[in-house]
Amino acid sequence: MVTPPAHTPAPPATDQTSQSGLVRLDKDQLIRLVEVFDFSSKLDQAHHCFSSNSGIKARLKIIKKRRLNAEGFPRQGDFAEISQIKSAFHLFVEKSLKKCFISVASLIKPTIASAPIIRMPGALVSLQSSDQQSSFNSSHTSSGSRSSKAHHFLHHPFQNQEEELYKEECGNNYHLYMDEDFSSSSSSKHFHPHPSTTTTTTTPVPSAATATPTASTAHVLFEPVDFSFPPDLNLDFASPSSSSSAAGAAASGGGGGGGWAAQLLLECAQAVAARDSQRVQQLMWMLNELASPYGDTEQKVASYFLQALFARLTSAGPRTLRTLAAASDRTCSFDSTRRTALRFQELSPWSSFGHVAANGAILESFLDAAAGGGSPPQRLHILDLSNTFCTQWPTLLEALATRSSDDTPHLSITNVVSSASPSAAVQRVMKEIVQRMEKFARLMGVPFKFNVIHHAGDLSELDLDRLDLRDGGGAALAINCVNALHGVSPAGRRRDALIASLRRLQPRIVTVVEEEADLETAGGGDVGGEEGEEVFLKGFRESLRFFSAYFDSLEESFPRTSNERLALERAAGRAMVDLVACPAAESAERRETASCWSRRMREAGFAPAAFSEDVADDVKALLRRYKEGWSMRAAEEAEDPGGAAAGIFLAWKDQPVVWASAWKP
Amino acid sequence: MMKGDFEVVNGALNLVQPSETWDYTPAGFPVPHHISNLPSTTARPVLDGHCTNTNLSDFMEQVASPFSEASPSTNGFPMDTSLPTDNITTSPDEYRSRKAPRRVHESAACGGESRSSKSLAERDEHGLNMITILLECAVAISTENLPQANRMLLELTQMASPYSPSCAERVVAYFTKAMTSRVMNSWLGFCSPLVPHRSILSAFQAYNNISPFIKFAHFTANQAILEALHQKERVHIIDLDIMQGLQWPALFHILATRADGPPHVRMTGLGTSMAMLEETGRQLSNFARRLGMSFEFHPIAERAGDVDPSMVPSQRGEAVAVHWLQHTLYDATGPDRNTMRLLELLAPRVITLVEQEMAHTGSFLDRFVESLHYYSAIFDSLGMSLPFDNPSRHRVEHGLLSREINNILAIGGPARSGEEKFVSWRMELACRGFVQMPMSGNSMAQAQLILNMFPPSLGYTIFQGDGTLRLGWKDTRLYTASAWTARPTR
Repeated sequence: MVTPPAHTPAPPATDQTSQSGLVRLDKDQLIRLVEVFDFSSKLDQAHHCFSSNSGIKARLKIIKKRRLNAEGFPRQGDFAEISQIKSAFHLFVEKSLKKCFISVASLIKPTIASAPIIRMPGALVSLQSSDQQSSFNSSHTSSGSRSSKAHHFLHHPFQNQEEELYKEECGNNYHLYMDEDFSSSSSSKHFHPHPSTTTTTTTPVPSAATATPTASTAHVLFEPVDFSFPPDLNLDFASPSSSSSAAGAAASGGGGGGGWAAQLLLECAQAVAARDSQRVQQLMWMLNELASPYGDTEQKVASYFLQALFARLTSAGPRTLRTLAAASDRTCSFDSTRRTALRFQELSPWSSFGHVAANGAILESFLDAAAGGGSPPQRLHILDLSNTFCTQWPTLLEALATRSSDDTPHLSITNVVSSASPSAAVQRVMKEIVQRMEKFARLMGVPFKFNVIHHAGDLSELDLDRLDLRDGGGAALAINCVNALHGVSPAGRRRDALIASLRRLQPRIVTVVEEEADLETAGGGDVGGEEGEEVFLKGFRESLRFFSAYFDSLEESFPRTSNERLALERAAGRAMVDLVACPAAESAERRETASCWSRRMREAGFAPAAFSEDVADDVKALLRRYKEGWSMRAAEEAEDPGGAAAGIFLAWKDQPVVWASAWKP
Repeated sequence: MMKGDFEVVNGALNLVQPSETWDYTPAGFPVPHHISNLPSTTARPVLDGHCTNTNLSDFMEQVASPFSEASPSTNGFPMDTSLPTDNITTSPDEYRSRKAPRRVHESAACGGESRSSKSLAERDEHGLNMITILLECAVAISTENLPQANRMLLELTQMASPYSPSCAERVVAYFTKAMTSRVMNSWLGFCSPLVPHRSILSAFQAYNNISPFIKFAHFTANQAILEALHQKERVHIIDLDIMQGLQWPALFHILATRADGPPHVRMTGLGTSMAMLEETGRQLSNFARRLGMSFEFHPIAERAGDVDPSMVPSQRGEAVAVHWLQHTLYDATGPDRNTMRLLELLAPRVITLVEQEMAHTGSFLDRFVESLHYYSAIFDSLGMSLPFDNPSRHRVEHGLLSREINNILAIGGPARSGEEKFVSWRMELACRGFVQMPMSGNSMAQAQLILNMFPPSLGYTIFQGDGTLRLGWKDTRLYTASAWTARPTR
């Protein structure tokens, strides 16, 4: 839309626009930026400016080389050189910067492709190993708030001084005055609609269907009658504690009542289903004004679901999801992945619960075989269909190394990493993980082979027979599915097909860990008519319930300003877009309930293998390391309409959120 | 359409020249710089080698800072020695001292020196990349290319963290949030604000605690009011947006102990919620009672522009002072024309006005550029004094600054009411016959006292001139305090 700036002639010096504040004033800063950051990528553009001066060209090349070689650039000598070419560079920038700052933007745009992947010492596996010296399930030594403590010495240096000054100015009474909390008054209705919202205007109300982007000057207000708040809506922004309890209430209330976010979102979804565009418009306006991805739990839930609803209403679900996934993929590094995964394990049992349960079941099936069959299998092969970046395996390796009676068996892991589209980030991360896993296995003295298979597309389309899972025969096979099965499209019996093909592999054991939510049929618009709206509403309500509980658990586990938590929330936000705005058939987020999965497993010819007392004790010991609110319960005890579920649940505030189970042919 | 927008942009870009010299009309009033710049009186040749540091360049410098940290000798760049010409207190030494604490934050954040130095290049790249997308996105919004803008915003929502050690990234995160909201507003077709007053008040209090800006506003205004009310027996203080009334106890204390005895103080507080006004009134009454000062409080739950002037009666023999701390958290006063009429009717002995040094009007791109400069400086200043994971800092950035950004970038600008807003209250007051009362030496001393509570290395600076007092960060002016009177004494 705007032509590249490089080829336009320099505007005359008297030209007002060329001297406009931003461009002119920013220039020298920009020059420095270009010099220090982006020198190399801009040299080609610069060449035509300097083509008449080969001396400068040569110098630029030298500096570029130094920069690329990272020889401590810039050195003292470089400054002299840079200042020599500075005037020439002025000219270049002058030519380059056109009349508006988009030129600045395009000028300083760096080359993304050249971003180096930084590999840090102390990464995934090795850090884990140092954290877990003793036993099988002690992987979560609390190394707690390391980063937050580190800053205490920086704590605000002038607060006391400030107080002194106030005392000086106002007498000691002032101190008392300041101590009284202004924000804690008796009023329970804290919400005060802005007066202007009740201003009557003559501007007609646009309907959502026809609402077109308005120019920045255009301004449309609703009629006052339109702004009726839902009854009993308690919009309390003051107390941070109320939000989490409200979310908890919303969650335990089946997504019905509770916090303002759940209430507004549900009303909005109902209006969407009823095609009441005016109501949709009102509710989305309110949500848009109140939501924030960086606020309290209510605001976050509102913000991410609003994004999903917006995508649905603009028929941009799949496109939105692709953009989000691609951007997060670009931002993702091994380091950030590692930090997020470890922090999540450290602060919440959400992921580690399944790992401990599954590892326990796998290890016991292996040891049982050894005890019962006399000669223990010399080889164990695990087919891991999970995208958990191997966070599960260090504890298993350690257990194998320390608990096997005789020789440590040979362990092979085949990790199938599946994604809807090929992901460069995942490949980067996995490459790093392979090295670390191998290093860790050497450290533990476990003979080890690790295979990564990147599979783009639905997991059910993977040809399992092509994989060498028996290591030439004789290996005991275990299959591990942690949050893997819900990634399979719910359409066309693909899930049953995948489970049946797992059965054909004749594994010794299959471990299934899934998040507990009834979203299989959550409508994404592939069912038409009234029925479709019903399906959409049901799915929306269940998504809201599930993610409210998830966000609530994050809120209570993580510190407020945690980047790791932000990454987890953003991933959940992408799942919401998938669930709310994308067709179910293309979805990778349709979780099912434990009883549904159990039925599927049974139909495929599997029988539940109960977790042993030891494993249950391990899980309980694990939960004791986290904050209150987590509990374990057997699936048989839990409310289970079908009565078919096997395995155990992790519950957050009495609400089952994660389910772990083990199955034998 | 696009072309038109850009022309406006270029006009607006003149606004942000920090090196503007203040011109005076014959009457002795400062003319807002956008006027004085039109005849290009201050325009300089582009290639004269004088590089003035702007807010945005500070912003850019913020992105660049990890690099300059790695090599402090960057200060030896010729371009750095020719830093701004007027009122600049930054020196290479300050640059260095400025870096020091930030480096501590970073190394603490990353858990080790080796790490932080290794990830610098990556973060630079990341920062530049985000800024680029943000700028492109602003252009897309200004041309109503909403799908394009939305795509870029979706990208940014995955990239920028408001909890990052990098202030630039935090700014980008909040601008992304505001622009996402803006895109949805455009799609919905309307944009009236909803104001969570209570959370704003608590964030405002946090802001008062962690940065000198609000105190600066309070204390300089108090000083001007005190001087104007000298020897007055009965005073009437009207606060156009009283909030918690944080600034008044300090004034009461001084009034109660002044040599000519405490006056009778009548205070009218305007605000949005009667419950909160009554709470504020209760607190202030209690405080006045403890001081033994005769005090009444009149709450008016209306905006100044909506108030019937008869609701604010001035009594005979009463000296009236009006105070207004402007912000863009919500529209505190309503139609500016009505507010001005109220001021004219009240004919106060003193009006203390604290403005944000940022144009709130103009096209979306104007506002975007202005606010990007402005809030980059504020975020930088908070980043200088507090570690990246400080809860108060997050509270202020999220609860207060983010809200302001949101309102500025929303359709219709900060007021979002469609009501006409003055470009500059200072200019408007001058045109209406109000006379500026230069801030006194005592006010300057007050401001300096407040700044002394903050280590000089943090970079807060006071600018004096044209009768106003400005508090800024580095060379960026952020808040301007001025005093006016409707009854010039001759």
